[in-house]
Amino acid sequence: MATLTDDQVDYIIEDVRAHGIRLQGLQDNLVDHICILVEERLDEGEEFEQLYASIVPSFYKHELYELEEEALFLAEFKGPHLVLSRGQFFKGLFTIVGSPYVIYYLHWWFVSRPTGDFRDNMDVLSACMVFALFPLLTTVVLFLTPDRFDPLIPWRSKVLLGFRPLIRVLPAPAIG
Amino acid sequence: MVYSTELLKGTLKTIVLKLLVDNKKMYGYEITQTVKELTQDKIQITEGALYPTLHSLEADGLVTTELEYIGKRVRKYYSLNLAGKAKAKEKVNELASFVQTMTLLLDLKSKTI
Repeated sequence: MATLTDDQVDYIIEDVRAHGIRLQGLQDNLVDHICILVEERLDEGEEFEQLYASIVPSFYKHELYELEEEALFLAEFKGPHLVLSRGQFFKGLFTIVGSPYVIYYLHWWFVSRPTGDFRDNMDVLSACMVFALFPLLTTVVLFLTPDRFDPLIPWRSKVLLGFRPLIRVLPAPAIG
Repeated sequence: MVYSTELLKGTLKTIVLKLLVDNKKMYGYEITQTVKELTQDKIQITEGALYPTLHSLEADGLVTTELEYIGKRVRKYYSLNLAGKAKAKEKVNELASFVQTMTLLLDLKSKTI
């Protein structure tokens, strides 16, 4: 069987690195696997570059770094965790930030309103407004300009909430 | 017939653990080829599924690794430690029980006879 030269192996190592594989163990595994597949077919008289370009895409759906994302995901999320879509995540976020307003308003509506005493409840509402104003405005701005989600949480990606780490955004292919 | 990815997804860890029980140490490419041969090409483990799983087994402390240097490249061999052997037994038993349950649930015995 043909053996790759050091330069060809270096080429593969550099390319795998350039495509986002930073975990050393994963990188070693992929490089070795690619080298074996290329060597098998080099005997059939094909050119190295062409072979390499045709073999690597079979390793992933969209990008090679998906493998690293998947590896990190499997290794990190041991305990209980939630997998949310982008929409579910932002709905949850708006609910957390906006619910104090709704709760205090409803409280005033059902409890204080009949007596007309809105002031006590307004103190709590004001405090709530002050402490929640910045996150509320931020989420409203995000909500009104959906394109801004993309750098943060791209379409089709998943948001994982757990204990270690608390939150992680993964591209959809990484978790199937 | 090649089995679908969906069907294999939950069993990959078990397959790898069992192979490592039967073979002292294995590297990635060897695992994919062994599965192919044993199943007569019905199960083809993709690199995209295998390597994250091996990484996860290592992170879980179920396997020990050994590096072999072949010129400029590195071949990583995986072997089971004690915890890995226990896990392999547990996973194989779980899968066997699952297969038994599915056989009953889908009435597979009468359908295949």
